[in-house]
Amino acid sequence: LLPHLPQYVLSFRLIVLGDSTVGKSCLLHRFTEGRFPGPLHSDPTVGVDFFSRLVEIEPGKRVKLQLWDTAGQERFRSITRSYYRNSVGGLLVFDITNRRSFEHVKDWLEEAKMHVQPFQIVFMLVGHKCDLVSQREVTREEAEKLSSDCGMKYIETSAKDATNVEESFTILTRDIYELVKNGEISIQDGWEGVKSGFVPNVVHSSEEAVKPRRQCIC
Amino acid sequence: MSEEDSGENLKEETSYEGENEQKMEELGCSESSEGKEQETVPVTRKRPEPKPPSQPAATEKPAAETVKVSDPPAVQTGWGYWGSWGKSLLSTASATVATVGQGISNVIEKAETTLGIPSPSEISSESKDSTGGSENPAASNADAADDGSSFPIAGALEVLSTISTAVQSTGKSVISGGLDALEFIGKKTMDVIAEGDPGFKKTKGLMNRTSTLSQVLREAKEKEEQQTATEVTMATEKKAHYGLLFDEFQGLSHLEALEMLSRESESKVKVVLNALSGEELDTLKEEMEQLKEAFSLPEFFEEEEEEKKGDEEFTKEVTELFSELHISSKPDKVISVRTSAHEWVAQFNSSLPEEEKESEENQEVGSRDGDQDAKKSVEDIHAFAIRSLAELTACSIEMFHKTAALFLYGQKQEVTATDRAKSLSQLTIMLCKELSAFSKEFTTCLTTAGVKEKADVLNPLITGVFLEASNSASYIQDAFQLLLPVLQISLIEARTELSQ
Repeated sequence: LLPHLPQYVLSFRLIVLGDSTVGKSCLLHRFTEGRFPGPLHSDPTVGVDFFSRLVEIEPGKRVKLQLWDTAGQERFRSITRSYYRNSVGGLLVFDITNRRSFEHVKDWLEEAKMHVQPFQIVFMLVGHKCDLVSQREVTREEAEKLSSDCGMKYIETSAKDATNVEESFTILTRDIYELVKNGEISIQDGWEGVKSGFVPNVVHSSEEAVKPRRQCIC
Repeated sequence: MSEEDSGENLKEETSYEGENEQKMEELGCSESSEGKEQETVPVTRKRPEPKPPSQPAATEKPAAETVKVSDPPAVQTGWGYWGSWGKSLLSTASATVATVGQGISNVIEKAETTLGIPSPSEISSESKDSTGGSENPAASNADAADDGSSFPIAGALEVLSTISTAVQSTGKSVISGGLDALEFIGKKTMDVIAEGDPGFKKTKGLMNRTSTLSQVLREAKEKEEQQTATEVTMATEKKAHYGLLFDEFQGLSHLEALEMLSRESESKVKVVLNALSGEELDTLKEEMEQLKEAFSLPEFFEEEEEEKKGDEEFTKEVTELFSELHISSKPDKVISVRTSAHEWVAQFNSSLPEEEKESEENQEVGSRDGDQDAKKSVEDIHAFAIRSLAELTACSIEMFHKTAALFLYGQKQEVTATDRAKSLSQLTIMLCKELSAFSKEFTTCLTTAGVKEKADVLNPLITGVFLEASNSASYIQDAFQLLLPVLQISLIEARTELSQ
């Protein structure tokens, strides 16, 4: 009906975490713009960057993703920390060719848990740069073991050749959508993790109930 | 990752819950109490005063001789000028909202007396005169729109259509020469006629009271989103929603992030000030005063005003100013957005002669095709203009956000906070001037492409571009002000290092 307007039923805020240089920004550029920036455009992220995209979870049903790309560098930690709280989901990224980045996964999880309370983040573990097979330092098996120990799904991706990029975000989004549908995660005032979207001509009771109240408090 | 936090932070992040509801209330009440806001314009926000206008270059053909104009609007204070942007505009906007209840004619009268524009009765009699002259196609075109019933809003608003019709009927050259006046009328009426950006039109007044701009903008955007999703809107409105586009370019998120850094810095500064006393406190306060002064945007000199900057010049100046900040990021995004918008305008202008010839031919044959082409392109120009304004503003705010993050957490540099503030203030001025130049270029395109459009089609598009350009400039200036607490932290840090 109004093709220019992004229509979506819900919007989720997702945070992307992980060590510096594991390829978080490249992953997001690939996912949102369909391109790989390449090594020439790889200035480290300053503080936090923002992306967004729509994802179709069921035919005709779309979710808007607001994606927070955090700086991996330690010096920006106090900035990135303030973004945990309003996220409903997270991609925890490590570089399969960099063992240290894998070892830090648990630290990232702990850090997130500490700052997200009283809310929860649905995490997914992402082993990035899987195109660099010959330089692999982390086996799929050990990554899978870690992820299941921590109650996350595991996926291996490559922004360079676009392997599983689409899948990683879609799977996480579907999982969160299910949790919202089952009532395990709910829309709350003062929390930006999940918000309802806008659909034309469907005047949902939830929206209508809030709207008039807002306008006539005077 | 394993390293623990260095404990540099004097205070943990503040939480913002609860603030939302309060804001909502404020927003809800806005309509009834908007008028009071004029007095509460923040004093720290020193903005330049209006400047005398200059004569816009007359690039158009002269008006048809039959048309008489009692007061050429071009002589009036132009608002495309940066001078009248910002603070003065703020009070204008809220004044307009306040008067709505009392009847629109007052607003118009006010606009007229300020501008020296002929009164509605003068105008309507003149427009009748002018329509007698058959050699003016614009007039006969406008005559059709003169019928009050064709205007969507009946009653008091008829008078508006008369004004715009008259301005239109005075011919091409008046339109291009009197853009400033046209736009001024538009600004006055913008809040009355629901058009363009439904959610955004009231943000001006709201900004005075609410502490965070992003909150207001987000609220407005959501309203806009809801409105556009539930209403069947006009074709132009579909394409160009400043609020939605600004969000699409991540302007809201960057603004929110910048506000967060600003607030955190603010509370840290308070802690430091509370901990100091005596001479130490006095010197710091003095230095902070100096820094604050650098945040008052200076007025520019007149010579600067009409200088048209070439692409390279803008790029060079912005790059130079930015390098004075001594941070690791570059203003590439702002430059490329600005450059591509100017290329679009240049391309449009170079394609003009052909189009004009074409439309003349169509006119002779009496074909409708020409009109339709023109109509389509007017909307395209408007959509592109709004999009460019939203993108340039979003990128500018992103630039300020990144700058703040690097000031706080980047490598230490041999440059004082006050020097950084001065460069940033120059940068802010450049960006606002650029927005003003943008709006003029785009509206010139609109008037050129829309010669044959009816006033009630063309005028809302023109006023829409001017309004959003002026909003954009305000957002950028607000974002700039958010950097003050951040640089206060730099200043404090520098002093601490010195004493150690």
